[in-house]
Amino acid sequence: MKNLRVDAKDPTPLWSQIEEGMRRLVAAGGLQAGQPVPSVRDLARDLRINPATVSKAYQRLTEAGLFEVRRGEGTFVAASPPPMGRAERSRILREAATRYAALAASLGASREEAADSLRSAWTEPRREKGEER
Amino acid sequence: MSGPGETVLAVEHLTVRYGRRVVLSDVSLAADRGQVYALLGRNGTGKTSLIRCLLGQQKPSAGHAVLFGRDAWRDRRELMRQVGVVPEEPDAPAELNARQLSALSARFYPRWDAASVEARIERFEVPMTVAFDRLSKGQKGGVMLALALGHAPELLLLDDPTLGLDLIARNTVFGEVIGELADRGTTIFIATHDLAGVEGLADRVGILKDQRLALEGDLEDLKASRGQSLEEIFAAVAGVENGRLS
Repeated sequence: MKNLRVDAKDPTPLWSQIEEGMRRLVAAGGLQAGQPVPSVRDLARDLRINPATVSKAYQRLTEAGLFEVRRGEGTFVAASPPPMGRAERSRILREAATRYAALAASLGASREEAADSLRSAWTEPRREKGEER
Repeated sequence: MSGPGETVLAVEHLTVRYGRRVVLSDVSLAADRGQVYALLGRNGTGKTSLIRCLLGQQKPSAGHAVLFGRDAWRDRRELMRQVGVVPEEPDAPAELNARQLSALSARFYPRWDAASVEARIERFEVPMTVAFDRLSKGQKGGVMLALALGHAPELLLLDDPTLGLDLIARNTVFGEVIGELADRGTTIFIATHDLAGVEGLADRVGILKDQRLALEGDLEDLKASRGQSLEEIFAAVAGVENGRLS
């Protein structure tokens, strides 16, 4: 899971960071429907966090219908993961925006500057994705 | 045998006085099977006394320390077979090498797994045939951790290891040790002032301040409900001392 990062020093609980990260990966196609996800144990080792924390994130994702557990086989992205609800999406955006705004403020960046960075970040990943193909 | 969700370690209204000086005052906390519990506090907040009570080395002035449902002071001999300890300072006979230390420990424990001790020492990249006092500090810490796990303890106590949790935090070691212990359901109790060392590692934290337990809870849930990082929580609860956190 190279594209999943968590920060133990961040106030956002780790299970929530994993949950968000996985949702993002599924939404962006980094994880496809029906594809296996790393075992709790492997992901905990990669991220260097307590397996119970990973387990909690997986449980929440399973309850939300994004993941499914196949007994004896492991955990998979659901065959048809439910699309993210509007409320959920705006909640995640708002939380991430708050973190970004706090970071920008702590760097002494102006609103304008922060907004510019956001705008260019919006175009860059798309370009990267285009290059991959 | 104990099952999941069972309380492995409990401290009940624990008070310790040395003469007229109170070092722990009415502290209650509990860790369940398989949990990683971090007891945080600055030096002098009573962490060491609490560990000594858990090990049956200190008789409480009031209250109890209970391991596996048994009184830690009364049943210390039997209980210590189920407990592994990493002491504050790595300490072992200076002239013995890791293999000889393992053989020595094997005499005290009915079920000693020498093969797994050697495998771990190797994984921690500690030479097997070098005398203990010629090892680096980090290597000594590795030997202590491997020895503490040699009898497959159900509870691992880390008593504010001087080197912090650097060894466990190392990628390879973390995965192996923490994953393996979680699979086995081993409970880990860490007394420390090394906040960075327990981030991501601890399920549950307790913060000691002025000889009392000032805050206890599941670490990630505390972060969620307070909107603070562990460092911020600690600073808010334990106060900032000379601008430093530890």
